[in-house]
Amino acid sequence: MILRVLPFLLLLLFAHPVAAQEKWTAVSIADEMKENANAVIRLDRTDITINSRKSMTVKKYRVVTIFGEQGLHYMDASEVFSNTTTIKSIEAVIYDAYGKEIKKIKRKDFRESAISQGSIITDDKLLALSYTPVQYPFTIVYESEVQSSTTAFLPRWSPVEGLYSSVERSEFNITHNGELGFKYKEYNFGTTPFEKNETGTTLSLTALNIPALKSEDYSPSQHKMRPQFMFGLEKFNLEGVDGEAKDWKTFGSWMYDNLLTGTDELPAATIAAIQAKVAGETDVVKKARIVYDHVQSKTRYISIQLGIGGWKPMLAKDVDRLGYGDCKALTNYTRALLKAVGIESYYTVVYAGSDKNNVKEDFVSMQGNHAILAIPHNNDYIWLECTSQIAPFGFQGPFTDDRMVLLITPEGGKVVKTHVYKPRENTQESKGSYSISETGALAGSLTVRSKGTQYDNKYDREHSSREELDKMYKDDFSNINNLKLKKTNLLNNKDSQEFTEEINLEAEGYCNKNGNRIMFAVNAFNQLSHVPQRYRARKNPFEVSRGFYDTDEVVIDLPQGFTIEAKPDNVTLTDKFGEYKAEYEMIGTTKMLYKRTLQMNDGYYDSGEYENYRLFREKIARNDNAKVVLVKN
Amino acid sequence: MRLLQLLLIIILAGTLHVTAQEFKLGKVSVEELQEKVHPADTSAPAAYLYKRGKTFFELNDGYFNMVTEVECRIKIYKKEGYSYASEEIACYTGGKTIKMYFTDAYTYNLEGGKIEKTKLKADGEFQEQVNENVRVKKITMPNVKEGSVIEFKYVIITPYFTAFEDWYFQYPIPANYVTYEVALPNYFTYNRFMTGYTPIEQTAPKARLGSRGIFQETAVTFTAKNVKALADESFVHNIDNYISILKHELASVQLPNSTPEKYSTDWPSVAKAIYEDNDFGRELGLTNYFKEDLQALVPSGTPPAQKLEIIFGYVKNRMNWNDKNGYYCIDGVKKAYENKVGNVGEINLMLPAMLRHAGLDANPVLVSTRDNGVAIYPARTAYNYVIAGVKLDNNIILLDATSKYTLPNILPLRALNWVGRMIKSNGATEEIDLMPKKNSREMITVSAEVAADGKVTGKTRDQYFDHYGYVFRETYGTLAVDSYLEKLEEYYGGVLVSDYSITNERDLTKPVMEEYNFSHDNVSEVIGNKIYLNPMLFFSMDENPFKQEKREYPIEFDFPHQDKYLLNITIPQGYEIESMPKSVSMAMEENIGTFRYNIGSKDRVVQVSVAFDINYANISQDYYHTIKDFFQKMIEKQNEKIVLKKSI
Repeated sequence: MILRVLPFLLLLLFAHPVAAQEKWTAVSIADEMKENANAVIRLDRTDITINSRKSMTVKKYRVVTIFGEQGLHYMDASEVFSNTTTIKSIEAVIYDAYGKEIKKIKRKDFRESAISQGSIITDDKLLALSYTPVQYPFTIVYESEVQSSTTAFLPRWSPVEGLYSSVERSEFNITHNGELGFKYKEYNFGTTPFEKNETGTTLSLTALNIPALKSEDYSPSQHKMRPQFMFGLEKFNLEGVDGEAKDWKTFGSWMYDNLLTGTDELPAATIAAIQAKVAGETDVVKKARIVYDHVQSKTRYISIQLGIGGWKPMLAKDVDRLGYGDCKALTNYTRALLKAVGIESYYTVVYAGSDKNNVKEDFVSMQGNHAILAIPHNNDYIWLECTSQIAPFGFQGPFTDDRMVLLITPEGGKVVKTHVYKPRENTQESKGSYSISETGALAGSLTVRSKGTQYDNKYDREHSSREELDKMYKDDFSNINNLKLKKTNLLNNKDSQEFTEEINLEAEGYCNKNGNRIMFAVNAFNQLSHVPQRYRARKNPFEVSRGFYDTDEVVIDLPQGFTIEAKPDNVTLTDKFGEYKAEYEMIGTTKMLYKRTLQMNDGYYDSGEYENYRLFREKIARNDNAKVVLVKN
Repeated sequence: MRLLQLLLIIILAGTLHVTAQEFKLGKVSVEELQEKVHPADTSAPAAYLYKRGKTFFELNDGYFNMVTEVECRIKIYKKEGYSYASEEIACYTGGKTIKMYFTDAYTYNLEGGKIEKTKLKADGEFQEQVNENVRVKKITMPNVKEGSVIEFKYVIITPYFTAFEDWYFQYPIPANYVTYEVALPNYFTYNRFMTGYTPIEQTAPKARLGSRGIFQETAVTFTAKNVKALADESFVHNIDNYISILKHELASVQLPNSTPEKYSTDWPSVAKAIYEDNDFGRELGLTNYFKEDLQALVPSGTPPAQKLEIIFGYVKNRMNWNDKNGYYCIDGVKKAYENKVGNVGEINLMLPAMLRHAGLDANPVLVSTRDNGVAIYPARTAYNYVIAGVKLDNNIILLDATSKYTLPNILPLRALNWVGRMIKSNGATEEIDLMPKKNSREMITVSAEVAADGKVTGKTRDQYFDHYGYVFRETYGTLAVDSYLEKLEEYYGGVLVSDYSITNERDLTKPVMEEYNFSHDNVSEVIGNKIYLNPMLFFSMDENPFKQEKREYPIEFDFPHQDKYLLNITIPQGYEIESMPKSVSMAMEENIGTFRYNIGSKDRVVQVSVAFDINYANISQDYYHTIKDFFQKMIEKQNEKIVLKKSI
């Protein structure tokens, strides 16, 4: 569903063919740069020259020492090209650890390929180096020059390229003609030092000696962590079309006029048909729902990345005729149909994905990688994901929730925030019972109702085959060996956005047997058993990006002829990360009522708090696995 | 032996009469459009109602072209089936002219009881040159909804008739009727092979005049009906080994007034053809490029076993594999040797060449990798890989120098695929069993102490032998210790590792050995005045990997193996053993595997010794329930607890 490769990936950069006189020996790298590094970026220099709004040259000069296979992708010796972007030169030289030349790689040795993975078609092609190292460490010196007439996307400067790589020197130089409204903005530099030099027509940025980072679970997403500079032009060109990006209002108007205007015409018969469908309905929401249902039943998502930089939607009348389109096309088609029944809606540009990437409000430029639709309603918006044939009307879901997005209205652009899910919106309510037999088998049933993001995790189960469901439930209940699914009954209530699962199951040998004792975990159906990884020295802050709230009520029938030797005590754990409660109440001699509530909060925390969070999760895991011990009389 | 049942191979010879079913593009029925679910598989998102293919030859200006026409009628039941409304064909373009196109493509819908059809227009067709040699055509059908029926036809005309496309009778969705006619000019002889478990009917060969009546051809039609959707199963190396696929291999060409040209018919011919190929036999024969180096490396009088070791080590260290398979050389051994980079052919032909030069009886052994499937018929294309085999003291030792971590008889997993074929210099061939003859071992020794609060601390030594060692080195060989420890702690959930050390990581002659101290809070439970302790600590298996009730395909393990655990656990002061699990020994039928569990105690020390053996890498699905039940019993046993109680 991604609109297009992210702009900054698309237009990678290139550098001065400086005579490679420096001797790049691996042995000269400082120890602290080698720590945790599979690759050391010795020098990454990008020189951008913007001569006019229709001419940009990006030169790259890049030297990387690679210590092993895991660091190979840091060679990053490839360029994307298209109708408006050409590769002027590209070459590389490989040196051994002592700086002795091993191999020269000329343009003809780079391999060309189409990059339509996942798409039916794109305009873009890739020219990439394929090199088999004969020894480690080795150093690659890579140079390229790319010329583009599209200036809507300027490469970003991100001196920290990724994990397990350190940077000795990263340089970024831009020369522009001073008339195009060149602008820039820095993000996430925090404690990363860098140097900046600026004149009326140039900008130079340099960062030195950045040590390698390790991967750590629960780290915030890259866009919140990675230092970067964004650049842009107020006067730019996108695949032959001039554009203006002074403020969101004018930029949005430009997008509206150039990318949307004229694309929303529909055949008269289609207009008549949709008007007939909503006839008699006066409520805006109900009308919009009918239109959305119509789009979902009529169209399907297909990735087609052609047109102005992959940014202009296919015509609504073509979608109407063909019944398919990409996110832009389907969003725009829905907009056209809504317009036909008198409902205003806005084409919306967003960064899609579960990592909540914002359209940067303080930097007016081409951003985003996906399109959705916003219907203004009661001072808020109803959000429609038009590429899904099964999402409920107005369901945002974690693909586009809680982030800044750009609305394209006829009056201009507007940056707003999408729906934020609170922990208590993401609920899972389980009610059920099970019995334990004398042989330690379990037989039970339960009903699970899920809402919010938990609904999102589950609602496509409705369409799964028996075999798939069998697999899914065996994964869900992986703590129950020998699980046999007797019956499942699934109900997807799209109106209330609630998913209900009725499950009957049994399992031989659920209990551990030890002589005349049997023991089993009381919480059979909803164990949160994962404990976050321990880190010897946690560096990154951590983030729980979405909270949730689970409630469980299970009645347990114990077998006759046994005495309870031990049962867990009630427990309450309260922390800033959430709250956990478990109660074990005997109702009669062989019946127990188990009640559990768990609220996990979302939040962004310092690295120092990580160990507390880990311990909180460990306590939950241990209590979720608390056991009853029965002894045969 | 029933256990190692080879893949079902039908060499087609039957002469069943098949009544052709009526299928004509354009004749979509109201019933087909009305159908809501697939009658035999209600969860199917889509189905092939019909799929008809035809391959025949045309003579143009004295040259033969191979023509393949395929017609499909596909029913879309659910939205998840929309991907079947797009189709893609790829073709090797090479230097010659090939033609491929889609035609007769329509979407059918039922609108108010009437059939409405929408034609695929040019805006739904796309073409892409993937690289120099491969071109792709794609279509995406218009106006597709749940319930739609789509039809299209595609045609591929190519002069590359040695590369006969495999025909699949089985798909991820059900197929009601799949038929394929092959009409071959009598000038061409192809070998024909069929894999899989779906019954295929075939007509008697029919002689007739070929295209434009210029030559005689013989046609045979293969048909499968009501084919189930492919099952997705774990413990399968390559599903293609078990799918119903019809394969053709060009055996010979005998054009009028010319001498017959043999491509392949039997193993000696295949071996000869490969051997005589410049990129194989000639490369194998070259010695000049290494002569001098070798002389310095192997002084005369070196015993043969040592020669093997030196040369194998030398090639492994010098050469770097460029991830390309193939038994033919691309750049040639000489250039590869100079550049220190080569494909499989270059590296593993260089190896027997050197061994021979040093006086050993070494030969290349052709192999089909796991990804390539099992080599089932004598053909040059059956193989895609080569290793070396050395006869030493009447044993054959297999060598592969494409990995830094292989050893004699320890091949990379990709090459562990049934049998290979040795090609000797006299042209003779010999089938070579590639599978390991003994179980690879992992041995874990633990001494641990339980505290009164249930916390367990101790020392582990974990040794990886044979293929376990190979896999360990390949997987973790280049990982930083810190990152590895995180993985280790994740693998044995809940354990905290300290004082980690690893030895023999580079010394391949010895097992990889890890030693570390650990502590763990969750392998025992203190309930009341008792401690329930897992005698295998965190090493017990707790989830049965065999979950399905039924199994369609054989069960494949990476290699036969033995996992061994020896634990000495000291119980806390002031506690005594109330009960312990019983020792047990279990075996699967036909020696598939065993599980031996012994437990005893002396004073405050519990001794546990566990050995788990899987003796075959490939086991027939007939034994699925045996294996599943065995794993279940083993897991139950591994999770039985020792009960400790406070002494009074």
